[in-house]
Amino acid sequence: MRKARDLIFGTIAAVCAMAALAVLCGLVFVIARRGWPAMNVSFFTEQIRLVGASGGILWNLVGTVILLATAFLACTPFAIALALLERVWLRSHPARRWLRIALYTANGLPSIVFGIFGFIVFVQWCGWGKSWLAGGLVLAMSMLPTVTIVLIERIAAVPARYVEAAAGLGLRESQIVWAVLMRQSWGGLITGSLLGLARAAGETAPIMFTATIFAGATFPRAIAESPVLTLPYHIFILAQDSFDPAVGSKLWGTALVLLGLVFSLSLAALPSRLRIHEESNV
Amino acid sequence: MSELILKASALTVRTADRVLLYDASFRAESGRVFGIIGPSGGGKSTLLRCINRLNDLVPGLRVSGDIRLRGECIRTNDVNALRARIGMLFQQPVIFPTSIGENVLFGAKRLRSLTRSEASAVTESALREAALWDEIKDRLRQPATVLSVGQQQRLCLARALAVQPEVLLMDEPTSALDPRSTAAIEELILRLKTSHTILIVTHNIAQARRITDTLACVSIRDGVGQIVEQGEREQLLTSPQTPELCEYLHASDIHTGFTDE
Repeated sequence: MRKARDLIFGTIAAVCAMAALAVLCGLVFVIARRGWPAMNVSFFTEQIRLVGASGGILWNLVGTVILLATAFLACTPFAIALALLERVWLRSHPARRWLRIALYTANGLPSIVFGIFGFIVFVQWCGWGKSWLAGGLVLAMSMLPTVTIVLIERIAAVPARYVEAAAGLGLRESQIVWAVLMRQSWGGLITGSLLGLARAAGETAPIMFTATIFAGATFPRAIAESPVLTLPYHIFILAQDSFDPAVGSKLWGTALVLLGLVFSLSLAALPSRLRIHEESNV
Repeated sequence: MSELILKASALTVRTADRVLLYDASFRAESGRVFGIIGPSGGGKSTLLRCINRLNDLVPGLRVSGDIRLRGECIRTNDVNALRARIGMLFQQPVIFPTSIGENVLFGAKRLRSLTRSEASAVTESALREAALWDEIKDRLRQPATVLSVGQQQRLCLARALAVQPEVLLMDEPTSALDPRSTAAIEELILRLKTSHTILIVTHNIAQARRITDTLACVSIRDGVGQIVEQGEREQLLTSPQTPELCEYLHASDIHTGFTDE
């Protein structure tokens, strides 16, 4: 009886897993097959022409990279500060718990909420209009919880014996933080950032009314009224207008490039992630 | 002439619901090795960690009583300055994931500013003091993990010595080492005791006999760890007065099979 039940549940679980995997593989396959014809050098070196039906996605790629770089640079100091707050500076247990709860909650917030915040604060209140900096900061906020949580886990995995040995030498708390805890946790910051960036790269909602336009922008030369083109917004616009077969091919091509970008960010984070698991299992 | 360096009185360590160490008092003098023996879980390490206030790092641990280093109360002074005056060796050598040279200077270069030539002088003298210089002088840039465990423990000793402490605390420093490395550490202890006050926790009666001058036996009595007996080494080992120490010595003899004599 129990064997039969195990078998049934095992089968159901296997089927579900296979189905999920099949959908994922199918999606990648379709995008790759349809997008591949658009791949050539000029696709990466030319700008959009004929409302996306011709030309390439040079400035979309550049814009996305600008947003991601800005997000990474803006996110890093805050992630370090929050992680150290949780691991070192907050002495009371309830305060640390509240901070963790806040981070997990923020991690689950829909990105459009960050977008609205950015719209109100940067676009309107600061008067930047659509700006790469507004978009970068919004993306930084949306990835901050992920980066912070990964960094906290990484710092927590630094064995206590290192802290004791450093304290035993007479090092101050700040010296222990930088020479021991952070020194051994940079990998966590990089991993968390790559994971966060992989997600941020595909975000469309929070940047469409803070940072990005469809056409006509190149490299931003100021902060205010300096939008950029981006890959996800390009896909969003073309998807609504893809009856033209020429546009279709460019659309799938853009999706493939975005997929490749996200995939390589996740892949780059993999070695460091595996190492964390190894160390925390010691 | 030995001088009183460290004096602890009525030292008690407790957690929220348990007393780990009760009413411990002892004196450690310069030029003499103070050994702490006793069964596992008796509170030997806890006692040792009171001296450089490492117990402060453990949340929920409360330490009361008085410890004086050269007459100054260790509670009132800056804890980091205190720890710089008291070096510590742990059971397992704690090697930072960096080069050998960086490990030696890990404390020293952060506690005082060293020019490049001072840094290499400190490195050399610390490694010489730890009897490691000749083995690794050409490998200072290599990662410290390439060293054997015995060498790592001497590297930890060099790192502590580079800070120029007056007191050295050793928490079973040879229990992870093979006999030859153990002998090297013991030889170093005998050499260093002329310039440092050394307190060592050891599990090994034969080792206590070889290197200590004064002994304290920390054991569980009435459910709490305390110093049950202390005094000159020979007196304690040849004519123990308390049932706890008799039992411990007896158990150790059986364990080692009388082979260490």
